[in-house]
Amino acid sequence: MSASHDEDRLLHHDYDGIQEYDNPMPRWWLYIFWGTIVWAVLFWFNVPGIGVGQGRIADYDASVAAANAARPPEPVAGPSADQLLAMSKDPAALASGKTVFGAYCVACHGPDGGGVIGPNLTDAFWIHGGSPAAVYATVHDGVLAKGMPAWGQSLKPDEVTAVVAYVISLQGTTPAAPKPPEGTADTAAATPASGS
Amino acid sequence: MNPQLESFRYDDAIVRKFLWATFIWGLIGMTVGLLIALQLAVPALNLDIPWLSFGRLRPLHTNAVIFAFAGNAFFTGAYYSSQRLLKTRMFSDALSAVHFWGWQLIIVLAALTLPLGFTQAKEYAELEWPIDILIAVVWVVFAINFFGTLAKRRERHLYVALWFYIASIVTVAILHIFNNLSVPAGPLKSYSIYAGVQDAFMQWWYGHNAVAFFLTTPFLGLMYYFLPKAADKPIFSYRLSILHFWTIVFLYIWAGPHHLHYTALPEWASTLGMIFSVMLWMPSWGGMINGLLTLRGAWRKVVEDPILKFYVVAITAYGMSTFEGPMLSVRSVNALAHYTDWIIAHVHTGALGWNGFLAFGMIYWLAPRLFQTKLHSQKMAELHFWLATFGIILYVTAIYSAGLTQGLMWRAYDATGRLEYPAFIETVMRLMPMYWLRVAGGSLYLTGMVLFGYNLFRTWKSRPAAYEEPVIQAAPLAGDYEELTAPRPAGALARFAQAAWHRTWERLPVTFTVMVAVAVIVASLFEIIPTFLIKSNVPTIASVKPYTPLELAGRDLYIREGCFNCHSQMIRPLRYETDRYGEYSKPGEFVYDHPFLWGSRRIGPDLAREGGKYPDLWHVRHMRHPKDIEAKSIMPGYPWMLTNQLDFDGIQRKVDAMVMLGVPYGDAVTDAPAMARAQAQAIAQSIASQGGPADLSDKEIVAMVAYLQRLGRDVSAPAAASAAGAP
Repeated sequence: MSASHDEDRLLHHDYDGIQEYDNPMPRWWLYIFWGTIVWAVLFWFNVPGIGVGQGRIADYDASVAAANAARPPEPVAGPSADQLLAMSKDPAALASGKTVFGAYCVACHGPDGGGVIGPNLTDAFWIHGGSPAAVYATVHDGVLAKGMPAWGQSLKPDEVTAVVAYVISLQGTTPAAPKPPEGTADTAAATPASGS
Repeated sequence: MNPQLESFRYDDAIVRKFLWATFIWGLIGMTVGLLIALQLAVPALNLDIPWLSFGRLRPLHTNAVIFAFAGNAFFTGAYYSSQRLLKTRMFSDALSAVHFWGWQLIIVLAALTLPLGFTQAKEYAELEWPIDILIAVVWVVFAINFFGTLAKRRERHLYVALWFYIASIVTVAILHIFNNLSVPAGPLKSYSIYAGVQDAFMQWWYGHNAVAFFLTTPFLGLMYYFLPKAADKPIFSYRLSILHFWTIVFLYIWAGPHHLHYTALPEWASTLGMIFSVMLWMPSWGGMINGLLTLRGAWRKVVEDPILKFYVVAITAYGMSTFEGPMLSVRSVNALAHYTDWIIAHVHTGALGWNGFLAFGMIYWLAPRLFQTKLHSQKMAELHFWLATFGIILYVTAIYSAGLTQGLMWRAYDATGRLEYPAFIETVMRLMPMYWLRVAGGSLYLTGMVLFGYNLFRTWKSRPAAYEEPVIQAAPLAGDYEELTAPRPAGALARFAQAAWHRTWERLPVTFTVMVAVAVIVASLFEIIPTFLIKSNVPTIASVKPYTPLELAGRDLYIREGCFNCHSQMIRPLRYETDRYGEYSKPGEFVYDHPFLWGSRRIGPDLAREGGKYPDLWHVRHMRHPKDIEAKSIMPGYPWMLTNQLDFDGIQRKVDAMVMLGVPYGDAVTDAPAMARAQAQAIAQSIASQGGPADLSDKEIVAMVAYLQRLGRDVSAPAAASAAGAP
């Protein structure tokens, strides 16, 4: 792509009528090619064990450490039982709790909390305790052995609180196809004072 | 007349056959592509029919487009041009026929076996071992026919198009054979002889070079013949041809491991893949430059001629994808793009633009010559060009956006340090509008294809009653030959640059072929030998044990249904991956994985640590009807797994094949079915106790659940197995 156009010199090649020019390779093409070769040699020194690079695992560990250091402090304890009970009667909190429940919980607990793979959440029987604090702990920390994920790790704190409040509000409701009771009747189970 | 002249005829009948095969398979391959694109937007189109589900059709689409459409296009052009460039008829009409019918038979077998779920689970190498053997045989037939033609040529020197054909034929044979080495476990079932990290390496050594030597070098060869023919211009630079040919042949082979950045493949290997990919940028562009600059002074013609328009877009698409390839190979770019639709967009720029358009241009040029009549409609060809061009633009813009969107969503964090989109489905739903745009783009392209077929058909209808077969005359090669030498410049470097040495190679096909083979093999061994010999590449993990017989059967169901087409099993050491999926994957976790199932695309989430995350019943319900678990899921249902009987007795053969591969099975060697039945009973009971169906102990679903529940658990100490999956 230079002045050489004018000097196109045909070679004596002729293949089925196809001819070839003896043009030089474009200079920019050659320079970039040499450049990538030099870069390739230099980059090789980034490989751990060969050059000075730390390697992907060290990079990963560093990024985790940096993220942990930068993470805003989490509240040490969850909300109090009174707060949860109050939220379980607050329409705004319940609305957002219902959204979270619809997105993450229905697969196992059913759309109305009547239980499918996971237990019925509307009756007074609880496998891991029915007090507001116990429900909060089950949701937040999960029960990995039984397939209940630790939602505190993926959901935001106010989403966890809202969904716990929503679950508390389900107490005493009548689902369409309730799963038989599992666990034990928890006398300490919190029922919303004026259940819906 | 010179008495020394010999008379002969070209075999164009075989070229016409390949031409029709190109069109028919292209139409089928693209139609399947449109169907699977629709299935992503409307999952109900999987219809709960096994052989129509996405996981089985996707390999059919890729194989049909690569090996049937592009393959036949290459053969069409190679058979036409080689005879003319070598001034001889093909070596053997019989071998030409065996090549043609053998290749079509392979495609038919692929179209039958892939939807039926027979697959090796290696991308673009899915076909099972008997078909692989057939491919090798037919390829050798092609090679004998081609090299035989070289041997009886009447043209002293080999033109650059032929160099590219030689490189393609030699390298595809090597790639195909070494990636497909496997131990059969039945008439249509086999296990790769490589496991885990090494299998992944071999697969992408093959996979990337299938792109190189099946979709790039053959088509560069076609370009070098059909572009100057259509433009009636000399090739821009002979010296550029030489340099970019040899650098492509030598450098491409190294590039494969860039598909495995941040995986359990050793870092030196993926870095090697990356730096060679970057060095490959200019050699690839050499082809583009030589193509576009050959059109200097012909641009007025481009405006009028749809054939040249197809070539210009083809070469431009080639230039874009060969810039994008090196860019995607760079580690940090790859971290974002890998597993997303970005890669799908990249390959479609190449396949629809470069391979498709070059094939269209070539066939529009060939049709009047082969059917010895005028092209039915120039206007229709023009319309085809514009429809297909807009189709490509629509397709790739939508899918590039989809890839970027999903890649960015996966890595987004909120202010509390949590993933912004913890639910994978959110990142899928965001893509829906783009999936519809892709359907629109694909439909335009396919409409163009239909016009193309109609135009060809009408052209063929107006052919003469009998084709003329003109007699060609050419002198045979004399025994003694003295190279015409230009004045030799002073200085070694100047003489080297004059390329007279290469001119000598060009009249020695055996030397030339040996040099190509040496370049390819030496480059391969530089990577392969350390990958297999350095022990520290795959540190042993004592707690990693072979799959139980039932899990092995379940793994084969996972392979049968093509789950790996949408789910990866490879968590990269990147914070947003480990936060989402759990501990990153270790090389030692895959030592019994024949074949590896790391996957290359996450249409659904990664499954490397799926084991123990959910109860058994969750999986049963999810496999039967995914929307029962996630209302917005786009995964097909697999209800047949709940009714199909599991072939317990066949498990022994699977285990035996694994034992042959060195997997330490101990007692299971003799008693695999009984062990599998016992485990199946336990799982069926657990499903029933969780409130699920009571009679599943002899159904396929139990094996599937067994496999899924095993995934990724071994790496944590056995005592803590139940907690596997927690980050």
